[in-house]
Amino acid sequence: MSLDISFIGILIGSIMASSVPLILAASGELITERSGVLNLGVEGMMIIGAISGFALMVITDNLFVAIVGSMLSGVIISLIFGFLTQSLLTNHVATGLALTIFGIGLSAMLGKNFVGIPGKEFPILFSSLRESIPFFGPILFGHSIVLYFAFALPFLTNYFLKKTKLGLVVRAVGDSPVSASNQGINVILVRYCCILYGGAMCGLAGAYLSLIYTPQWIENMTAGRGWIALALVVFATWSPIKVLIGALIFGGITILQLHMQAIGFRIPVQFLSALPYLMTIIVLVVISRDSRKIKLNTPTSLGRIFYKEK
Amino acid sequence: MATDLRISNISKIYPGCVANDNVSLQFKSGKIYALLGENGAGKSTLVKILSGVISPDNGEVFLNEKNLKLSSPLDAKKNKIGMVFQHFNLFETLSVFENLSIDATEDNKSLRVRINEILKKYNFSIDLDIPVLNLSAGQKQKVEIIRCLLRSPKVLIMDEPTSVLTEQETEELFISLKKFCDEGILIIYITHKLKEVLSLCDEVAVMRKGKVVSVSQTQNEKVETLANKMVGQKLAKIKKKINISKNKDEIFKVKHLNFYSDDPFETNLVNLNFSVKKGECLGIAGISGNGQNELFQILSGEIITPDTSIIFRNKEIAKLNPKQRREYLMAFSPEDRISQAAVPELKIYENVALNNFKSSNFFEKGLVNERKIKEHSKKILSDFSVNTDNVELKSQFLSGGNLQKLILGRELITAPELLICYNPTWGLDVGAINYIHETLIKINDQEKSTILISTDTEELLKLSDRIAVIYKGKLSKIMPSEEVTPEKLGVLMGGGSID
Repeated sequence: MSLDISFIGILIGSIMASSVPLILAASGELITERSGVLNLGVEGMMIIGAISGFALMVITDNLFVAIVGSMLSGVIISLIFGFLTQSLLTNHVATGLALTIFGIGLSAMLGKNFVGIPGKEFPILFSSLRESIPFFGPILFGHSIVLYFAFALPFLTNYFLKKTKLGLVVRAVGDSPVSASNQGINVILVRYCCILYGGAMCGLAGAYLSLIYTPQWIENMTAGRGWIALALVVFATWSPIKVLIGALIFGGITILQLHMQAIGFRIPVQFLSALPYLMTIIVLVVISRDSRKIKLNTPTSLGRIFYKEK
Repeated sequence: MATDLRISNISKIYPGCVANDNVSLQFKSGKIYALLGENGAGKSTLVKILSGVISPDNGEVFLNEKNLKLSSPLDAKKNKIGMVFQHFNLFETLSVFENLSIDATEDNKSLRVRINEILKKYNFSIDLDIPVLNLSAGQKQKVEIIRCLLRSPKVLIMDEPTSVLTEQETEELFISLKKFCDEGILIIYITHKLKEVLSLCDEVAVMRKGKVVSVSQTQNEKVETLANKMVGQKLAKIKKKINISKNKDEIFKVKHLNFYSDDPFETNLVNLNFSVKKGECLGIAGISGNGQNELFQILSGEIITPDTSIIFRNKEIAKLNPKQRREYLMAFSPEDRISQAAVPELKIYENVALNNFKSSNFFEKGLVNERKIKEHSKKILSDFSVNTDNVELKSQFLSGGNLQKLILGRELITAPELLICYNPTWGLDVGAINYIHETLIKINDQEKSTILISTDTEELLKLSDRIAVIYKGKLSKIMPSEEVTPEKLGVLMGGGSID
C-alpha cells in the first residue's frame, strides 16, 4: 500500500464531500434551535429534499431548478412543522418526530418511479486546477458549488449570529421569548423564519446526496444523516465552527474506517462502523468542556412552547 | 414639558376573575406615585395594560390628553412609557450591551456613548460586555432602567422593584428614582410594601380586588391606615400573651451543636445549646447569612452532624432524617417555599402527599390512594383558608401567601408538638402575614411549641416568648422577650454585646 501525498489529498477531498450534507443540515438546524425551536424533523426534511431534487432533475433536466426546488420543498415541509408548533402550539419533539416519519414515507411513495434512473453529472468548478497541483489540488478544487457553499456556511452563520442585528434578535428569541415579546419583537415571525431557513438547508443537504454525492434515488438514502446532524448541533454546543469540525471528524472517520475495512484490519467490523459516532461525540465533548461557554451558547428556551399573553 | 397620564375606566376580565374593574387614575410628572395592593389586587394587570403587553377589554389611556392605542409593547415604547417588570425582561445569555442594543435604532458606536453617559450621570457601575447572567439582581435592574432611559421616557413604571434587592441596593434605587423624578419623569411605583410607599412616594392609590379603593397624599397616611385600606378590613393588632412559666417541661433540647463546612458560602456553627419548653415560642434573630440556613437544616435533619445531641420528647433524635423526625411529631416550614417546601409543578394534593406518615395511609401497596389524599388536602385548604378549593391546581399558581398557608397547613394538620419555621412570612403581603402570625400564636396557645428563625425583628418581638440572636454561627444568651427591645436586638445582630 502506497500512502503517497496525492492519495492523501484525494482522501481529504472525499472526506470533505462526505461531510457536506451534515454541515448543511446541521447549520440550518443550528439557526432553528438558536431561536428556541427544536425540530427533530431534520431527517425527514432531508429525504424530502433528496427526492424532490432528483425528481425535478429528471422531469426538467435542469440542475438549477432541481437544487432550488429541493430547497423549496424543504421550506414547504418545515412550514407544516412551523404551523403546528408555532400557530397551533403543539409539542416540538412529537411534531418533529412525526415530520421525520412522514418525510420518509412520502419520499418512498414519490420516489417509486425514480428508482434505477441514472443521475446527471453535476458540474464541478476549477477541474483543470485539480489535476495540476499535487495534494492541494484535490482538496481545494474540482468540487461542486454546493460544497464550497457548505464550507462557507458555518463561518457565515457564525458571523450572522455574532455580528448582525438579526442574529442578535434570533439569539434573544431563543434565550427568552417572553422578554423578546415584551421588547416588541415578533417572536412567532422570527421563529417561523428560522424554521423555514432550517428546512431550506435540510432540503439542500438532501439534494446534495441525490444529485451530487451519489447521483441517483435510493429509498431512505439519507440513512440517518439527519440524526447525526441533530446530534452534531447539540454536541457542538450550538457553535457553527464546532459543527464544521464535528462534521469533518464524522466524515473523516467514516471514510477512514471504510479504507481500514478494505485493507482488512483485524478489528471487528462492527466496532469500525461504530467508530465515527464514538469519535465525533468524544472529540466534541472534549472541545466543548467550558461550561460557561455552553451556558452562553445554549438557547435557554429550546423546545419550549411560547404562548403570547393577550 | 409636564406629563399628564390619565387612565379612564379600564376593565380587564379573565375567566373567573375580574383583574381590573373600572379603574380610573390620574398621574402628573414631578411626583412619585405609589400603586399599592396585595398580591392579586390587579396592580400587575394594570401595568401590563399600560405597557401594551395585554390589552384591556374596556377603557382608555390618555397621555397629555392624547388617546393612546396600546396594542403592543412597541406602542408603549413609542409613546415614551418605560416599564421595569418585576421579573426582568433580560436575555441572560447575551451581554449587557447586546441586551441594550436589541431595540436600539442607532448604530452601536453612538449607542455605547449614550449608555456611558447614563452610567456616569447616575453613578451606575456595570460592565457592558459581560453576559447578564453574571450580574446581581440589583445590576440587572439597573440594566432594565438604562434600557428605559435610553428612550428618554416620559413615564417610568416600576413593578415591585425591591422584591429582589438587598437593603443597600434598595437605597440606591430610591436615590435614582428621586433623581429621575426631579428631571421631570413621571414615576409610578407598584408595591405591596407599606414602608416603601411612605418613604419614597408623594401620592398613593390603593387597589383591592381589581378596584381603586383610595387615592391620597402619603403625608396623611400611616402604615396602619394604608394596611387597613389595602386589606379592606381593620387588621386586628396582634399581640401575644407572653407565657414564661419556669416549671414547664422542656420538650426540645439541643446540646453541642457544631457544624463545619468547606463550602465558603456556608457558615460554621459553634457550640449551640438551647432548649424549648412546652407551649413556648423560641425566636432566633439575626441578619441572614449568619448560620440560620445551616441551623434550620440541622434541626430538620437535612444535615446530620456528629456529636450533637438533640433530645425531643425524651428521645435522642440527632441521627434521624426529616421523615423520621416528622413521625415523632416535629414539623418544618423552610424559608424557600418554591424549591424547598413545595414542588411548584405538582398539584396541590400531590404536594400534600409528599409529607406522608405511616399513619396517614396515603399509599397502599405502592399505589397512590388519591381519594384519601384529596380529602385530606381539601381539609387543609379549608382549615387554613387557602384561597382555592381546587386540589388539582398546580402549586405554582398559588400566590406566596396561599402557598405558605398550604405548607403550614400540611405541617400542622397532624398536630405536631414542635414546629420549626424559617422566615415564614418572607415576601408576603400584610393580610397573609397577619393570618400566619395568628396561626403561630394559636399553636402556642394549644401548648405546642415553635422555634421561629427569622430575619424580621418586628415579627420576632411580636411572637416569641424568648429570643436569642445568631451571629456568625454563634448564639447569644437567650433572653425573655419582655426584656428585649429592637435596639438591643440590633446591637446583637451586628455583632456587638449588651450589658
